[in-house]
Amino acid sequence: MTLEGRVQSHTIIRVPDKAHAAAAPFVLVLVELTDGKRVLGHFNRAEPPAIGSRVTAEPSEQTPVFREEAT
Amino acid sequence: MSTQVYVAGVGSTKFGVLPGRTLQSLAVEAGRAALRDSNIAPARIGCVFVGNFVGGIMTGQELLGPIVAADLGLSNVAAIKIEAACASSSAAVRIGHDLVRAGAEDAVLVIGVERLTGAPRDALTTAMTAAIDQATEGQAGLTFPGFWGMVMARHTHLYGTTREQIAAVTVKNRQFGAINPLAQFQKPVALEEVIASPPISDPIRRYDCCPATDGAAALVLANESLVRQSGSPAVRIAASVLVNGPPRITDYAEITIHDGSVLAAKRAYETAGVGPDDIDLAELHDCFSIAEIVDSEDLGFFAKGEGGPAVVRTPSANSKVVINPSGGLLSKGHPTGATGCGQIYEVVMQLRGEHPNQIGKARLGLTHNGGGTAAAVTVHILEAVR
Repeated sequence: MTLEGRVQSHTIIRVPDKAHAAAAPFVLVLVELTDGKRVLGHFNRAEPPAIGSRVTAEPSEQTPVFREEAT
Repeated sequence: MSTQVYVAGVGSTKFGVLPGRTLQSLAVEAGRAALRDSNIAPARIGCVFVGNFVGGIMTGQELLGPIVAADLGLSNVAAIKIEAACASSSAAVRIGHDLVRAGAEDAVLVIGVERLTGAPRDALTTAMTAAIDQATEGQAGLTFPGFWGMVMARHTHLYGTTREQIAAVTVKNRQFGAINPLAQFQKPVALEEVIASPPISDPIRRYDCCPATDGAAALVLANESLVRQSGSPAVRIAASVLVNGPPRITDYAEITIHDGSVLAAKRAYETAGVGPDDIDLAELHDCFSIAEIVDSEDLGFFAKGEGGPAVVRTPSANSKVVINPSGGLLSKGHPTGATGCGQIYEVVMQLRGEHPNQIGKARLGLTHNGGGTAAAVTVHILEAVR
């Protein structure tokens, strides 16, 4: 089932640990899902979404990648 | 039957970039200074606790307890390392405090020590992120500047905290650090320099971050009888609290309210029988500039959302408490495992009236030290004994 929620906060990681060096810079988003759970995910753009905006992601065993919900 | 517990002696190395120094040499220097300051015979020390976070990762050295105790000439003691990330040595203080308070030991030596400089930046970042849950948020690439970047973005969003207010924390603490001979940074910085410094984890910029630091600090904790015999200028520990907070960012109901800090402060104030308005000075865990603002709210010095405006007002206009007169982690430095003991060292020197940056006559001081995502939090309240 698709993950849906609102952005609680965000950051752009520019100084990563060794394991994420190749991916930097990348956006992390903290999302509160519609069921109240909170999830940390990546974002599919270089600039973070506004706090409060609606985002969705496909469920994943790895870190989910959120995108802004089409309006 | 319990007894009062005192900080009978303090010692510290300089905090900073200290090439060529080993963990052992730093710990021994601080430990010897604390023993000398206490005027308590080393034979009366029952335990040695060494607070350290990443000694194993950064230097390959473990088993610091027995090694440091032996190098101090303390044989036949129980000596172990305590780890609670950046709160390692203040957590060790809590354990030592409880042993003395319970009467199990007359005196203990608590040392905090760390070596963080000299390694490549990605190696340091990797070592620090050992305190992030690697099965979940570490996998996503979260770092501590990233955690606090999220806190800063949300604090700004919810309460209107401005970039200038947050940068003013660094400016204030650099001014304090400039007159602390133990501080790593002893040069003031302008507001514009903080705001224009390179981004690390937006909106966190370089001058919003504490530096990587080498250093050690040590405390001798003792019971009332021993303190009277020694004649040392002791400071009473009115409260020693260690609690857990959320270990993952996704465990927070609201990331601008750090539950561990709120709970630790509540318990400490209740134990000491005082409130935030009674505190004369506080050393708060300002690992990032926004952290001091969040901490000052969570510890009750200001209402939630008022910590930002309070930084840029004159102290007399909002609260009598002087925050981070040592320069804090932002200026004095953050040798993670040593920071908790270093904060108590600073408050003890103020309460004894002996600090180079003496704020005036102070009766009550508080330290707040957080490990991980404020997942291990200590609050100590110290009282001058005159």
